[in-house]
Amino acid sequence: MGFELLQPRSLAEALEMKKSYGEEAKVLAGGTDFLVLLKDQKLKAEVVMSLRGIRELNFIRHEEGKGVTLGALATHGAVAASAIIRQRFPDLAEACAQVGAVQVQNLGTVGGNLCNASPAADAAPPLLLMDASLILASARGERRISIHDFFQGPRRTVLQADEILKEIFIPQIPGRRGATYLKLGRRKAMEIAIVGIGVAIHLNGSDQVVSDCRIALGSVAPTPLRARHGEEILRNQEIRDELIEEAAEVAAEEASPISDVRASREYRLDMIRVLCRRAIPAALASARGNKVEGLS
Amino acid sequence: MKRFVALKVNGEEYDIDIEPNRLLLHALREDVGLTGTKEGCSIGVCGACSVIVDGKLVSSCLTLALACQGKEITTIEGLAKDGRLHPLQQAFLEYGGFQCGVCTPGQIMAAKALLDANPNPTEEEVKEWMSGNLCRCTGYYKILEAVMAAAHNKISSDFQVKHERKTAKIQSLNVYKDS
Repeated sequence: MGFELLQPRSLAEALEMKKSYGEEAKVLAGGTDFLVLLKDQKLKAEVVMSLRGIRELNFIRHEEGKGVTLGALATHGAVAASAIIRQRFPDLAEACAQVGAVQVQNLGTVGGNLCNASPAADAAPPLLLMDASLILASARGERRISIHDFFQGPRRTVLQADEILKEIFIPQIPGRRGATYLKLGRRKAMEIAIVGIGVAIHLNGSDQVVSDCRIALGSVAPTPLRARHGEEILRNQEIRDELIEEAAEVAAEEASPISDVRASREYRLDMIRVLCRRAIPAALASARGNKVEGLS
Repeated sequence: MKRFVALKVNGEEYDIDIEPNRLLLHALREDVGLTGTKEGCSIGVCGACSVIVDGKLVSSCLTLALACQGKEITTIEGLAKDGRLHPLQQAFLEYGGFQCGVCTPGQIMAAKALLDANPNPTEEEVKEWMSGNLCRCTGYYKILEAVMAAAHNKISSDFQVKHERKTAKIQSLNVYKDS
């Protein structure tokens, strides 16, 4: 795995390098996936550009009334430990805390997790629930796209040859939000999700009627996705067991899992239903317990 | 093409020339010469190569050595001071927190990072934190006991003296020497 290593010290320098090297320069953030792929020769790289030295990309910033911005180099460990994320976006904190174990969380970044575009990326379902947007930067300028438009397939994103993911923006969400991320693996630590499910419940005024329900699925389709038909069943409804059951059924129909070394298609479909039945009540309880209005 | 990097390991600076793809794990073991850090799975799953970089526990098999320029690296060799074992090292010996020993440097570094951040963890917190360190001899309970003992200062003050005396006595028996 011999390669030339570029170590830009600023975003501007990195963008200039990406402009001249283009596709040839593979971008390295935390390295927890990247270096393993290189070792296994699943990824070939002549030139590697490490972002590690760019301090300006390593931050978590909260702006009251607007939302939370994660720099592309914010690690899973930093996100999982952030007070603001734990309080307002517990699903994202839970997802980041379930990536690998401490050794991996201290290296791996949420930005890298998205850019690798693994269908099993743990950070993706929560960010899909939040309608997060991504700021992609190049020497030509910046563009903002919705996370819903970012993934194109396994390990494929809309990032252009000269672009780098700069920031992840989580917008303010009105009302009271409760959410959870459940990950199914053979063991708790150091696992790739067999199925990952994020559910968010929004309450507005009433504790009974759900103003919005969002369901996101990982590891069960070529890209992480929202189960929008399943969500419809619970939106503006008073949640009852029959509705949860129905939403879980419909959500499973929206997935298109494959059979692989980790699990069969049938098992994954079954587990979507099981995890939905667990996650929806948990998210509802978390929303009801959340007494603060207008969380961002 | 090789590049120069100054690695600060256990307070000492090592100037080495390495290929850009050199992992911190291999730079420590082969270029710096500190072989306490072990290579296990090499894909960031087993924790055997755990070291502390700028206060954070990381897998040295997932870290490029060149990216560690200017950072404070602590390995298992950096724990004992002036001939005195670190309390965690002594606890692992005293409580038998190891069998074959290959995972032990990683276990101890993980435990150190935990106690640095949380000096008084519960058993559950230790289990959760150490879930990224595998032991294939399956000695987890004694590892847990050792970490809890170190955290609660339940290690004997005279352990090392007694241990050294015992070693000296065994050596004095002369049974291993040629007659």
